[in-house]
Amino acid sequence: MKVQTRGETLAITGLKELAAGNSQFFRDQVRSSLTEAQKNVEIDLTETMFVDSCGLGALISLHKAVCPRGGLVRLLNPTPPVRQILELTRMHRIFEIVSPA
Amino acid sequence: MTEAKLQLSRSAGLRLGLPCDLAQVRGAAVKVSRFLKDQGVGAAAVQACELALVEACNNAVQYASFEGRENPIAVEVTCDASSIQLQIHDHTRGFEWPRSFELPDPAQERGRGLFLIQALMDQARYLRGGGSNCLYLEKQRPPASAVEAKTDPSLQQAMHQLAESEQVIGDMAEELSFCYESLSAIFRCSAELGRSHDLKEFSMRLLTDLAQITSADWFVLRVVARDGSKLTVFAASDGALRLEPLSLSGSSSTSLEVRAVLSRQDVWFGEEAAEANDPLQAFCSASTGLIHPFFLGEQLIGTIAVGKSVGQPHFTAVHANVIHTFADFVGIQIANARFQEDQVHARLVSRELEIAKTIQRSLLPKSLPAVPGYGLAGFCESAEQVGGDFYDVLRVDDSSLLLIVADVMGKGLPAAMFAAILRTLLRAVPEWTNQPGQLLSRVNRLLFRELSAVDMFITAQLVFVDTAERRLLAASAGHCPMLLATESDPNVLTLSPEGVPLGILPEASFGVQEMTLPCNSRLLLYTDGLTEARSPEGEFFGHDRLVDWFRRRAPDSRSAERLKSDLAIELNGFQGAAAIHDDQTFLIMA
Repeated sequence: MKVQTRGETLAITGLKELAAGNSQFFRDQVRSSLTEAQKNVEIDLTETMFVDSCGLGALISLHKAVCPRGGLVRLLNPTPPVRQILELTRMHRIFEIVSPA
Repeated sequence: MTEAKLQLSRSAGLRLGLPCDLAQVRGAAVKVSRFLKDQGVGAAAVQACELALVEACNNAVQYASFEGRENPIAVEVTCDASSIQLQIHDHTRGFEWPRSFELPDPAQERGRGLFLIQALMDQARYLRGGGSNCLYLEKQRPPASAVEAKTDPSLQQAMHQLAESEQVIGDMAEELSFCYESLSAIFRCSAELGRSHDLKEFSMRLLTDLAQITSADWFVLRVVARDGSKLTVFAASDGALRLEPLSLSGSSSTSLEVRAVLSRQDVWFGEEAAEANDPLQAFCSASTGLIHPFFLGEQLIGTIAVGKSVGQPHFTAVHANVIHTFADFVGIQIANARFQEDQVHARLVSRELEIAKTIQRSLLPKSLPAVPGYGLAGFCESAEQVGGDFYDVLRVDDSSLLLIVADVMGKGLPAAMFAAILRTLLRAVPEWTNQPGQLLSRVNRLLFRELSAVDMFITAQLVFVDTAERRLLAASAGHCPMLLATESDPNVLTLSPEGVPLGILPEASFGVQEMTLPCNSRLLLYTDGLTEARSPEGEFFGHDRLVDWFRRRAPDSRSAERLKSDLAIELNGFQGAAAIHDDQTFLIMA
């Protein structure tokens, strides 16, 4: 997993999965990189093959962290299984989900 | 009996012992997935089983009792032709299996596991026992086709992959078709906007298309007022949705739309009942959908609420994206239209000023009459905004004149109009021109209603000068004083007869100051734009500076024209490059 700063956005790439086993690590890693300067968090889900409810919890906690500063969590290019869990739990209502053009 | 049939009727199993550790859950799930794939289970069912298993095992680890942690969690998988069965034996205290499953509040970070399990599986049962409980899950397999039954495993796998790819391509095609439909709707409506310029109709058409693309049953577009105080319905799919404007000033609003604006986030409705006082409630309570606030940069433009009847499938992420795109597009059009309106307004204002300037110029006399021994000169410089200053000189007879300087309080066209009316009224009764006080009373009576209706008033100064009789009569309607310089007195006299401005009292009387007019007198009438002229440093020209100038210059300059250009030069020198804030007018008799 790679965390980079691009202006107002914190970009996360190379995430293989986001599940009970690594969600706490992910949460800590991203929260510690998130400074006041970043409004938005952009997570590239191209390589993410698996997300469970603990992973969703981590995403929601990020959403709650950036929301008060007017920012948002953007999920890029989710794979079909990840997209399925996002829609099943109606998470597309709080995250911006961007598919490739 | 064929081999295939034998294979289909066979039931395969897998048993795993999982240590009580969250980090081990995924590894076990991957093993189960691999096993299911080997059994020819389709990708969708494998994914569903994998996720359900992970959720079940996560719970089993997280809620394991202290002593239970020592024991591994047993996972059993069996797979036959028609179904997949999963059994997860946990060592927790157990729990009551819920009768119904609901998603927690979107802000909740936990509590979605059981919801996912029941959504993904066809059957779920929880059996509680002493020290160990069992979660039994079952997923149906789609019936195998005849072709599949007769083909070898590698071909089967290829066909599964093909089916998977078809699913992905299908999803992409659906999304592409949404994009295409959105784009073509936007282009179609834009072309019409170019023809009609009717933004409301444009929005209505565009949103009707949006409703069709997203299978929505209704929509409401609200646009924020220019002062940001309220949200007003701009377009709605139904007359009943043309609701009252929503105030944005009170933060206690119960409206879902206001909530969306204040949070700058989409608000989805449908699951929980809408707020009791929400104006959309009549529609919301029978609908599911979302409210999207849209902005241009930081600036709020409006909200769009889109809904569909309960029972219809919910809006998906693709729908939400399409709704966002349409809202952004409408937002840009509205912002553009407002910008154009501002431009037109600015053009109208400048045209109005042009007209006001023309009126003001036309009010000034082309030439001034002369009387034996005296000449006259007038000066009027308009400010950028054009006020209502003017001067006039009426010839009463061969040796007498009425001098007029007036200042209509206000700017632009209204001030210029009143100046024109006043000038006409003063000229209308020649027999009163030698009675300046009475003339002011009459004019005040005639103008009072019109002036007070628009909260305007006029200050004016009238001086009747009789050079044969050597006397002058001065009257003032709240105007600044006039100055008189004579040869005999080194001081400049300041004349300020009593009187209120025109348009203040319905019945007003004006005191008349009478004086003999000594030889070689010089008279200066002006408006306060002159004394209130400012230097670039912000200093006022002022009454004292004017009196001082008049005292110094009046004895030397014998002609009114000469004094006028002198004062104009003095004023110019004082103001430098500073902008003129008010009209500057004066009239000199010398």
